[in-house]
Amino acid sequence: MAKYFEKTDKWVVTFKYPLEPLEPPRELRGKPEINPDLCIGCGACAEACPPNAITKEIDYREGYAKIKIFYGRCIYCGRCWEVCPEGAIVLTNIFEMATPSKDDLIYEVNLELHTCSRCGRYTEFTERQVHRAYTLLTGIPRERRKELLDRMFLCRDCRRQVFSHDALRNRRTDKYGRASQTPF
Amino acid sequence: MVEFWMRSIEDLGREEVMSIVDKELHGLYTEKYAPTRDLIIYFAPRENIREIIRRLMMFSYTRLSVIVGNDERYFRRDFSLTYIVSFDKQDLYIGVRTYLPEYDLEIASIADMVKAAWWNERENRDLYGIEFIGLKDKRKLVLPEYWPDDAHPWRKDYPYNKPVMDWREGLPDYKPVGRHEDLDVIGLGPYHMINDEPIHWRLYVKGETIVDAEHRGFHNWRGIEKIAEGRLTYNQIPFIAERICGICGFTHATSYVQAVESLAGIDIPDRARYIRSLMLEIERIESHLLWIGIACHILGFDTGFMLSWKIREHIMHLAEVLTGNRKTYGMDIVGGVRRDVLGDRLGKARDSVKKIRYEYRELYNMLINNSILVKRTRGVGVLPRNKAISYGVVGPVARATGLDIDVRRDHSYAAYKELSFDVPVYSEGDVLAITLVRLDEVFESLDLIEQILDALPGGPLAVDVKDIPENKEAVGVVEAPRGEDIHYVRSGLYNKIQRWRVRAPSYANIPPVKEMLIGYRLADAPIIYASVDPCLACTERYLVIDVDTGSKKIMTDDELRAKSRKLSTRIG
Repeated sequence: MAKYFEKTDKWVVTFKYPLEPLEPPRELRGKPEINPDLCIGCGACAEACPPNAITKEIDYREGYAKIKIFYGRCIYCGRCWEVCPEGAIVLTNIFEMATPSKDDLIYEVNLELHTCSRCGRYTEFTERQVHRAYTLLTGIPRERRKELLDRMFLCRDCRRQVFSHDALRNRRTDKYGRASQTPF
Repeated sequence: MVEFWMRSIEDLGREEVMSIVDKELHGLYTEKYAPTRDLIIYFAPRENIREIIRRLMMFSYTRLSVIVGNDERYFRRDFSLTYIVSFDKQDLYIGVRTYLPEYDLEIASIADMVKAAWWNERENRDLYGIEFIGLKDKRKLVLPEYWPDDAHPWRKDYPYNKPVMDWREGLPDYKPVGRHEDLDVIGLGPYHMINDEPIHWRLYVKGETIVDAEHRGFHNWRGIEKIAEGRLTYNQIPFIAERICGICGFTHATSYVQAVESLAGIDIPDRARYIRSLMLEIERIESHLLWIGIACHILGFDTGFMLSWKIREHIMHLAEVLTGNRKTYGMDIVGGVRRDVLGDRLGKARDSVKKIRYEYRELYNMLINNSILVKRTRGVGVLPRNKAISYGVVGPVARATGLDIDVRRDHSYAAYKELSFDVPVYSEGDVLAITLVRLDEVFESLDLIEQILDALPGGPLAVDVKDIPENKEAVGVVEAPRGEDIHYVRSGLYNKIQRWRVRAPSYANIPPVKEMLIGYRLADAPIIYASVDPCLACTERYLVIDVDTGSKKIMTDDELRAKSRKLSTRIG
């Protein structure tokens, strides 16, 4: 028994934690932090978040999309970090989150909404999402790219109208030059 | 008394047993189909259910795992009940399903024949309003006493986010059904340190001897399954499943994920299978060491408690390094795992296993050479074999009564088919046997971790999951530290599940505690029901009611534990 304690004495498992700082392992899934410079406001994190700690709200009146994380609900699973397409969410190993005020646990990113180039109303996606989509166009064939570029800056209603207008016009001038019997 | 396990089939293969069962049930069922590889469902009219279950339980190594109720009114205007019977030696689950129309929800009870149905029937009675004819125990199991009789939360027309009822004034209290007027009653709980959820036990004692026991639990019932059916998507559920239990959470997540993979026909990569096995074994060691510590503490052997929890801390640090969290690993996702075990973490894991093996062997020798511990547990809390079969006990409790069942070997999952391990089995059925099973299993788990670390294959961690097919069903099963943890999943529309039934191992192991307590001393009661390992929850006090005078005496936790410790001192 004495030999046992002599050998295992080094393998200390208790720490004087509140009196001394505790260094968590770098693998710890701690507080997820949103980088407001990289976030495009797509809301993928809000979709994936199991306890709805991250939410996406759209304010059409002021023209802002709000990505809001409330750490009081967070279960520190790291799903938001996995699904973020921009790498805007970083898992830190911060775990000391106790605070006297609930407001300290809320972090918001406000992003400008895109304005429809046809009707001038706010769309439900942000300016940065449109820019991000624009950068994705490079890999697409030219004809398709032009088609997409026409609709990219429109809101969803205008897209539908433009699309149906185009479809109707194309239908009217089919190869026999006569109107279709069913209008659409 | 019905005789079980009269017909020995444990040496026969799966196909052979399937044809024997077909022949045995001929004429009793209308049709059958096999949703997955290991699940066959027979459809039968409700009159034949009792006879079918009786015939199935005649085969050796079968047990009634779970009764799944389901509200299928959106598909076929009926409620359904599925009795899932496990054939442990053939890697087979046989479900017997009967449909009950909405206006006629009555079926004959089988709880007098198979005790495992007792809680299941009461739960379905509460949550679906299905009436079991012949069920003697008509108390509520899951819902509180003041709950209206016509509100059944698991029907699909009951919204998941709105309370149907308000809190009423003057809530009726829990009323015991015991009719032992001449006996003293000792109430334990609802808050008690050796239950993972608040459970109220009423012990009827004559002097120091326990004559009868009664149970009321589910104070913390949260209806997790309803939340999952109502609003969560497939990949969000593993995280809520992990929070069902604070000790064996990963087994619940794995069990759910395996059920979904099974119904969707997804083959996960080899590396994911091995990492799941690794985490499951780490969790088993962690859970068993916790239990050993608690058992030592109850018996007044605090050195054992401290040493056991010290060893446990090594494994918690290891889990933190491997997964990012001490307890809720968050590793499972449909189609694989989320984190890899790479580089220096492998070395850290090997170091930890070496440390733990050295320290644990010392602790093991100390415990089995401790005469007080052996005297306090030998011949105490004996669960007879026929009762164990009837209650369908699982895990270490079953293996201590001589039932050689282990889901890791019998319904092989993850990487266990490619690993070698022994299943410790004892036949005494007392608390000592349960303790020895758990003590031996830690060594097996340490061996398994070393094997996994040596044989960890390369490759991806997860596969891409496109669509989960609609309206399919499957069971997922995992050997939790406490026994078989079975999840039934049926997929629904719009990326949601239609039905999720969780049967945790303690659900099968707590009812027989009633039988284990009878005939033993009051001071043995804590160790007897700690022996089935209901997880830990902290306690305030016990309530002792003197029946003659009606006076109440508050007995603190320390007092009862002191009583238990005093007995140890006397024996020593």
